[in-house]
Amino acid sequence: MTVAWWCSSTPGQIWTWRYTPFIGVWIVAASLIGGYVAAHRRAGQPLDRVLFRRWCLGVLALFVVSEWPIGQLGVGYMATIGIGRYVVYTFVAAPLLVAGIPTWLVDRWFPIGSKRGQVLTTVTRWPFALLVFNAVLFGTHIPWIVDTLKVTQLGSFGVDVLHLGAALIWWWPAIRREPERGAIQEPIRAFYLFTSSVLMFVPAAFLTFSPLPLYGLYELAPPLWLGFDPTSDQQAAGIVMNVVGGFVLWGIIAGLFLTWSRQQQNADEVTRKARDARTLARMKVMADAEAVDAGGAGGAGDAPGTAGGFVDGGAVPVRDD
Amino acid sequence: MTGRIGAVPSPAATHRSGGVARRRGPRRRPHRGPLVATLLVLGLLASACGPASSTSLAAEGLPRQSDGWHGIPLEIERTLPDVTLLTTDDEPFVLADELRGDPTLLFFGYTSCPDICPVHLAAIASAMNTAGISYDDLDVVFVSVDPERDDPERIEDYLSNFSSRMTGLHEQLPIVADALSQLDLPGPVVEGPDPRGEGDLIGHPAQVIGFDANGEAQRVWPFGARRSDWVNDLPRIVEEWS
Repeated sequence: MTVAWWCSSTPGQIWTWRYTPFIGVWIVAASLIGGYVAAHRRAGQPLDRVLFRRWCLGVLALFVVSEWPIGQLGVGYMATIGIGRYVVYTFVAAPLLVAGIPTWLVDRWFPIGSKRGQVLTTVTRWPFALLVFNAVLFGTHIPWIVDTLKVTQLGSFGVDVLHLGAALIWWWPAIRREPERGAIQEPIRAFYLFTSSVLMFVPAAFLTFSPLPLYGLYELAPPLWLGFDPTSDQQAAGIVMNVVGGFVLWGIIAGLFLTWSRQQQNADEVTRKARDARTLARMKVMADAEAVDAGGAGGAGDAPGTAGGFVDGGAVPVRDD
Repeated sequence: MTGRIGAVPSPAATHRSGGVARRRGPRRRPHRGPLVATLLVLGLLASACGPASSTSLAAEGLPRQSDGWHGIPLEIERTLPDVTLLTTDDEPFVLADELRGDPTLLFFGYTSCPDICPVHLAAIASAMNTAGISYDDLDVVFVSVDPERDDPERIEDYLSNFSSRMTGLHEQLPIVADALSQLDLPGPVVEGPDPRGEGDLIGHPAQVIGFDANGEAQRVWPFGARRSDWVNDLPRIVEEWS
């Protein structure tokens, strides 16, 4: 059994369904899970099941698309799978990882006021994060970069690190809710995410509408089956980036927006109830005062509206006249 | 690597220095464990990773020549080999006679070939389509170097994956080797078992040879020629070699 460190394109290497473990992928996955658990133990904090599940799912997503066979197929043979890997790195693994870090751990690793904390705050400010994310998106899909870097294990690893790193930075202000760390609120968040989904159409359009294969490593790779056409593969890759990436992102945008809208609704409800309670109390005071006045005047007049005369919780008081 | 590990302070030392820092001020030193672990993993990967490519094949395509072509000009004069091969209908096909009159791209390969042959043929077929070149104006000929496995039906089926307008030829190995020899190209050799479990891999010349309408070899396109190279050169072949 051959063993490699990271998936890379090996021009001229025939594809076979013989398992090739990528040791680097196993090490990174184990380090991410082990480091997470160790950080909790060291801090004496219990593992939050929900957060830990998110973290593990994020690592699992990274592992699945980096290990054989998807990693190898995506880097060396099929542009569609290559773009699929990017979509999973960016829109599945990264948000899960960001959402899986407890706040105390962020405070521990990046204390506010420390240099690391300042760096984190700076790189995750939404304009900067948007810039970094799109610079990496465009830069790492330039044909020369792809054909140069992905033919070595180190270069391919570097590209994957860039993809994940840029995605983590990009998701941070959208998912993290700590205001002191640059969390953004709606509607800027929706705009922020939507802008990236639109910008992603540019490289996707190049892939979809280019009449010739852009990437030599996919074009010259031994075909997986006869009749396999690299141009069609590239067009499919563009569609994956556009449609799947777009749908995933828009789904997340919709989910986040609905969550925010529900939170707003709940907050509004609480505010409204508080206001109604205040109004009710005020009306009671007024009714009592009227009753006292009426009693003082000999008990004449209509029966006053009482607390039961108001719609419970309603904003508009109704009198039973 | 050892030096780098030695440079990392031990946990005890880290704790001691952390204690000093706490005594001097209230600010707590951030934990460096995860950062060090990440750097170690990256360092391990970086030091362990060498180039994965075991061949000299590159993905950049062919460089543009000074005359604007991407195909490499031949320094020596060669003509279409004087041999008689068989078509997929088992009709005799005198290479030197039948291919005169139109420019020709000639390629020696085999249908079980996992890499070079399908990549070359797919690139040519796709570029012919993109550049709008008709097979009436340019002959594309595939000669099998694997007579044991490549019967006429198999060759026809194989070529239909790229274009049914390509010409497939076959003959016994000595005749094919003679054709190659007339072009100063090495004969086919068995290289060992195919890792896909489909018999043996056969070594064969990896270049496509371009002949003008008079049957004189003009240029070659080694493996690595991309569609963009062919889209650049095909119209020139039809215009300048007809």
